[in-house]
Amino acid sequence: MTNTISRRDFLKLGAASAGALALGQMLPPRVAQAAREAGHLNAERDGYIPSMCEMCVWRCGLIAKVKDGRVVKLDGNPEHPHSRGNLCPRGQSGLMNTYDPDRVLTPLVRVGKRGEGLFRQASWDEALDIVASNMLKIKEKYGAEAMVFSSTHNLSQVQFENLLYAFGSPNYGTQRSLCFNAMITAFSLTYGVEEPSRKYDDVEFILMVGRNMMEAISTSETSELSHAIDRGAKLVYLDPRYTKTASKASEWIPIRPGTDSAFLLAMISVITTNELADCEFVKKYVVGCDDLPREMSRYTTEWAEKITGIPAATIERIAREYAAAKHNALAHPGWRTSNFINSFQTERAIATLNAISGNVLTPGGCLSAEVAAEGAGLGMPKQPPYPRVSALRLDGVPWKYPLVPLKLGVFQELRDAILTGEPYQSHGWFISRQNPILSLPDRAKTLEAFGKMDFIATVDIIMNDTAWFSDVVLPEASYLERYDPLLPVNGKAFIRQPVIEPQGEAKSALWIYKQLGERLGLGDFFQYEDEEDYIRQQLKPLGVSLEDVKLKGYAEMPAEESDGEITFNTTSGKIEVYSETLKNAGFSPWPTWEEPLMPKEDEFYLLTGKVAQQTQFGTQNNQLLHKYSDEPRLWMNAQTAAKLGLATDDWVEVTSPVGAVHIILLATEAIRPDCVYMTPGYGHLSKGVKTAYGVGASDSALHVTYTDPISGGQALSQTFVTVRKA
Amino acid sequence: MTEIKHHAYLFDATRCIDCRACMVACSVENNIEMDKTRIWVAGLGITGQYPDLQRGTMVYHCMHCEHPDCMSACPVGAYTKAEDGPVTYNPDLCIGCRYCMNACPFGVPHFDYDKGIIEGAFIDKCTFCPQRIYEGQEPACVQTCPTDALEYGDRDELIKIAHERIAAHPDRYIDHVYGEKENGGTSYLILSHVPFSELGLPDLPETPVNEVSEKVMEMTIPFALGWGAVLTAVTAGVALHDNKKKAAANKKAETKK
Repeated sequence: MTNTISRRDFLKLGAASAGALALGQMLPPRVAQAAREAGHLNAERDGYIPSMCEMCVWRCGLIAKVKDGRVVKLDGNPEHPHSRGNLCPRGQSGLMNTYDPDRVLTPLVRVGKRGEGLFRQASWDEALDIVASNMLKIKEKYGAEAMVFSSTHNLSQVQFENLLYAFGSPNYGTQRSLCFNAMITAFSLTYGVEEPSRKYDDVEFILMVGRNMMEAISTSETSELSHAIDRGAKLVYLDPRYTKTASKASEWIPIRPGTDSAFLLAMISVITTNELADCEFVKKYVVGCDDLPREMSRYTTEWAEKITGIPAATIERIAREYAAAKHNALAHPGWRTSNFINSFQTERAIATLNAISGNVLTPGGCLSAEVAAEGAGLGMPKQPPYPRVSALRLDGVPWKYPLVPLKLGVFQELRDAILTGEPYQSHGWFISRQNPILSLPDRAKTLEAFGKMDFIATVDIIMNDTAWFSDVVLPEASYLERYDPLLPVNGKAFIRQPVIEPQGEAKSALWIYKQLGERLGLGDFFQYEDEEDYIRQQLKPLGVSLEDVKLKGYAEMPAEESDGEITFNTTSGKIEVYSETLKNAGFSPWPTWEEPLMPKEDEFYLLTGKVAQQTQFGTQNNQLLHKYSDEPRLWMNAQTAAKLGLATDDWVEVTSPVGAVHIILLATEAIRPDCVYMTPGYGHLSKGVKTAYGVGASDSALHVTYTDPISGGQALSQTFVTVRKA
Repeated sequence: MTEIKHHAYLFDATRCIDCRACMVACSVENNIEMDKTRIWVAGLGITGQYPDLQRGTMVYHCMHCEHPDCMSACPVGAYTKAEDGPVTYNPDLCIGCRYCMNACPFGVPHFDYDKGIIEGAFIDKCTFCPQRIYEGQEPACVQTCPTDALEYGDRDELIKIAHERIAAHPDRYIDHVYGEKENGGTSYLILSHVPFSELGLPDLPETPVNEVSEKVMEMTIPFALGWGAVLTAVTAGVALHDNKKKAAANKKAETKK
């Protein structure tokens, strides 16, 4: 019997975890003291504290119920526009991330071989010294560019990036190219807006292309969509899989993977050639509207039927219904749009559909270009200018990928450059909140790239796979134990504040980056005393005290004045359905059809996609979510399975050109016969995550690396696999 | 929220997305072990054949019956039906006989071996979150539901809302509010787009089962007394007869001697 707490028993934690948590509870009760002074907690240390969730990037507001110094329940904060009193299953289970028996609670230094999992405990001073001295050694010997940095969307990312820019490396790998490059690049080029927001108040017709909103939950938006459906709005949903969103849709269209853009181009063709568009809006605000009918005329519904497998009459009808809803129609931009090499064109077609329905920025329109920049209107610590960086970026932006926005990058290309050593060899990797081993395609390659590194350091709250293969692991405080920079949402700056003491010696990212910065001789870039001082500096322009914000959970921000004039942040100041920028870079200036790769007869499209109970590869070790998730299995169409002599619960071997995994089969009617599906993020290699280890199989072990030359997005659904009985 | 005279839930199966936030919320709020959840979501699976498919989801927990069968079956009075709705269970009185489990037509009370032996609390089921509802909060499962598939309020009010919803979208719903009348009414009301039997709900008469059983049970004591009298009489009669026989036999034996 190991010393882990079994899943069955974990909720007895109140008593059972006394040993594991004693360390945290012996620390001086600074948080409790502050919370008592702020009026959140009574003398018995019981009460409610507002903060923000971090179980995904939607960042719902939460109210933590604290009893005797322990968080015992999380509820959605009714005052936060992202939660409105609700939390999804991940948000509800958040306290189990904090009380995970596998938490890393002291800095660790590797003593065995990489991947053996042998570490010794170290003091913060020693661990930070080791990290800093290795980074400096690499900088001295090979230049700052030989250090690679990796992170993911999070509130302290601004200080992570501060560290990276101050250090002087251009090499930054994030989840972005594995997720939304296609959507952001397409909308930036078309509207000058990264991700337009959606309004469901008056929506009558919603077109969703693989946006599985009922399983990839964004609490408030999922709620808005549900209410819109309830009200009678029509939802047309394209997905090769009968997801839970498909089951709520008015119409589910099991389209052939990779052909969404053909369907959408034919819709545009129907609308423009029949003059069903909102002409007034289009003529005024859209570049290319005069030539659009001519350009789209070749994309007939008959043409699209051959490619998509969807009857021409269905496409025609849907196009006409969409047009009839005028500015109350919404073609949803999607989110993780890294599906095929042509996903950028899919997104361009979606952007165009919205433009010609006139729903953008018009009163009652469903797509809004108002996007609050993170941190706008807040103060920042002073800092000197960053050093000039002259080295080429290893991810090929912009010298190989001219149109990929600098901040998005091409993570998979960066990994490949580490392997080839071209245009130069990198030697160190500093990683926070990323897990490249499970996030990047072609896991074998990523492990090989790790082998090329002289030094790897990882910041995380548990021993994720990347930490397992690292030389130093720095334990971060969980989101219920730390401060992060403020986040403005709809005119309020919300706070994430500790609701309990950090356990063990875990520290906030703000503290870790500052400590490391100082050791790297970059102290001038981190001019804040501590986390509270950082937030006080942010609050300065608002004239609000930290104490007020801690009590209320947010600070009011002054409303931004609008002059009512509509302009778009593009070269022409209009919506660029026709893009000169694309043309100049040698790509089609119009949304266009690009033939994707197709599987051979005995092969399947390998699909992945979220379930409501997990976020990427980061939550599988949460014991509550583990309990309430379905066992990850390979979905295969029931009739296809029968033909192959396979049945539910059979073990199968799934083989792609880059790897093979074993997994249990689920024969189901809910998927196209030419596709298989697996839940992503499982198949952990780290034995330090004892709940998740040995569960499911890794999609990253199977994914082949394909990069879209325009957006730099990884084509995650373009991997084809064979399946046989294991 | 209007004043709640009779606490009740309304579950709308057309809204449920099977995300299981309610299950997690219940486990954490009530500090119960995950294997012994008081609320469970049955993803009833997909019916039909590709591509004509349908999916139903049902959130089960205690129906908080107006005439609880668990209560009438309990020999020690461990169950109480509160005047304002909740059916509650008192572990201090429970003897672990499991009659309630057999009696409940919805299979709700859950037997907990571990707790039963250690703490003497044999049965676990939804309590209606009294720690929340009497403090002005919604039950944990309701509060967190992102699609309002679970709602909470006054029973009469929710029944009204349910009928209004059916009237507004007759094409979407089965024209019936399950729990309004079933088994004499429940405080967990259900709207559905698929037949209720497909959600795994029993087809129950409007007259509560225990109205019949309780009438019978009410007769127990008089019947027992009466039957006792009959048996006593019979025993006495037999004894008398036996004695007579014995006496006669003795007499015979004596004459033989």
